[in-house]
Amino acid sequence: MRRVFITGLGFITSIGNTKAAVEQSLRELRHGMARYPAFEADNSPVKITAPVREFQTDAEDPEDWVIPAPYTIKREQLRSLAPNSLYAACALQQAIADARLAPEDVSNENTGLYAASAGSPGILARQVNRMNQLGVMRCPPLGVVASIAGSVQFNLVSYFKIKGASTGFASACAASAHALGFAFDEIALGRQKRMFVIGAEDGNRETILPFASMRALSLNTDPDTASRPFDKRHDGFVGTGGGTVLVVESEDEVARRGATPYAEVLGWGQASDGHNIAISHPEGLGLAAAMRRALASAGITAADVDYINAHATSTPIGDASECKALRSVLGEQASRVAVSSTKALTGHGLSLAGAMEAGFCALALKHGFIPGSAHITELDPACDGLNIVRTTEAVQPRIALNNSSGFGGANVCVVLKAP
Amino acid sequence: MAETLTSACAPVLAPSVKSSVLDDEAVLRESLRRCAPSTVEAALAYRSTGDTSQLPAIILGIFERFVEPDLRPRLAGESDDLRVIEDLGLDSLTMMEIVMLVEEVTRTRIENEELRGLVTIGDIKTFVECRVRGVPPPAPAKTVLGDEVRAIMPIQAPFLFLDDARVGPSQATASYRITGQEFFFAGHFKDNPVMPASIMLEALGQLGVLHLLAGLPVDEGKVVDASTIFFASTDGVRCARVCKPGDVLTLTLKPKRVKAPLAVYTGTIRVGQEKAVSVEEITLTFGVVDAPTAAPAVSMTQS
Repeated sequence: MRRVFITGLGFITSIGNTKAAVEQSLRELRHGMARYPAFEADNSPVKITAPVREFQTDAEDPEDWVIPAPYTIKREQLRSLAPNSLYAACALQQAIADARLAPEDVSNENTGLYAASAGSPGILARQVNRMNQLGVMRCPPLGVVASIAGSVQFNLVSYFKIKGASTGFASACAASAHALGFAFDEIALGRQKRMFVIGAEDGNRETILPFASMRALSLNTDPDTASRPFDKRHDGFVGTGGGTVLVVESEDEVARRGATPYAEVLGWGQASDGHNIAISHPEGLGLAAAMRRALASAGITAADVDYINAHATSTPIGDASECKALRSVLGEQASRVAVSSTKALTGHGLSLAGAMEAGFCALALKHGFIPGSAHITELDPACDGLNIVRTTEAVQPRIALNNSSGFGGANVCVVLKAP
Repeated sequence: MAETLTSACAPVLAPSVKSSVLDDEAVLRESLRRCAPSTVEAALAYRSTGDTSQLPAIILGIFERFVEPDLRPRLAGESDDLRVIEDLGLDSLTMMEIVMLVEEVTRTRIENEELRGLVTIGDIKTFVECRVRGVPPPAPAKTVLGDEVRAIMPIQAPFLFLDDARVGPSQATASYRITGQEFFFAGHFKDNPVMPASIMLEALGQLGVLHLLAGLPVDEGKVVDASTIFFASTDGVRCARVCKPGDVLTLTLKPKRVKAPLAVYTGTIRVGQEKAVSVEEITLTFGVVDAPTAAPAVSMTQS
């Protein structure tokens, strides 16, 4: 098995569109929540989201979107992009520059791309409306590849001339963690030398508000407290969108290029709840199993872990379930290991979450800090026995875990180590 | 729920008002909203009067909307000869978008098979105009690739200066890449390989031969006899650019008058967008004979 490293990062997120801005937000606990015009309709009880800044992608026609410098996208590429693919394309440009990859490093048979996104329900709805009202032959020719699940890798693989392995992951909120796990496997098994791992979501009305009737979203109208995982008054998640890209490379490539890794990926694990389509297992059994497998895959024990970036989305049931899983796996280490949910700052990015939070862990491992769990005024008693850190601490973690859980009870845990 | 969905996707129509004239205009304006105002006006005028003289402006205006801004100036001059893919940088999917918009504005249908024969803006203008007038469009130009060019032509290496060609009744185009291995570079010039102007003229003449043999509609049962084609005269030759090995010549020839035994053409050679040679008239002589009954050497029907 070859060793695997994260060597480049790109972020388009609610807490920053560069890695420097993201790190500053994590250190200063600056959140990205805001009231959102598209949620202002009277029939929406949900008012807060964590929008991507500087971009404007609510217009129906991508040619009306605002795309900030330094990004420019030609019309022939723009026409097949949903907001998620646009954010992913910009984050991938950043990540390629950050990893100092030459064009030949990006486009070759040993470099692949795994993406996670749930498609673009907004664009799909507009297409179907158009088809019903104006006729089948009046739909944009590239509407399919702009909207269906998979549109992120379809667009980016062609746009960036990727020639290695490519596919997409659709395990909802665990999807980009799955993408990272399987990208790790590709490299560890020697099938690829380099993988781009991408999570991306539109983060607009059509991707977020469908969670409202499920009672999964926070109805809190105060941007400063709407997302508060582990707080006693947490009442649902706040949705977000954006794109994150991790460049993952084999140790041989790291040595050949003289790259400076952010972190090593030691291993990963996954397991399913076998319980309910949308509700976490009440005892967190699936997540606990995923964490144990991840530790075994990495060849470490709970005693080696310094920090866990929890999945905790700020829903009472989900947060409590994860707390049980954490206590079960950490055992006597539970009161020592620092745990936080950065979703208090970013909101919940759904398919984006796993890659985005693995990226946060990579920054923390590289630059020596542990991000705090913001917005907790009174800790939920469900967190008893755990070390939920409320402020960002300037201590160097050696090993970090990143948890993700998705619909159907899919759970993924990824183990990262300081370089 | 339906109400909340449509509010997010502005310009769609409620079915109950679909037929009103005002609403037709609104839909048309919405569809053309990225086109120049003059294009929108031409489209509205065409819709209300059926005046086909508006069509060229409509089609050009729709092209202008899809061409990248840095290539748009090319549409300002004589644009009929511009090839959609090679000269305007549009891919086949953008071509689909253009066709859809042209179909919508002119209320016509262009089938995929018909689309394949349309290469230049002029091809598309002619096709749409014929379609809305209800007359059959001219036979489309056909592509003749290198091997077929060599099979058709009485002229052969090392004196054949056509690679691939497209020939139709009203126009023939061809490309020729100057390799640098051509025999005359040994002496033209010493240590300075330059394509002779006389050879460029020869290449245009050769495209005329190909047009006579593969693009010209002749009477049923007749063919042009390849052994009867000769150069007759030329007039108004102007050379504007030195051409060297590595350059790809784009040759264009348009028949002015073709009636046995004379075919009179006007022609140009470009390298990229730069004009290299223009010829006001180049004339070939030719003869027509009965087609061999078994298998005609060259099909004239472009089926």
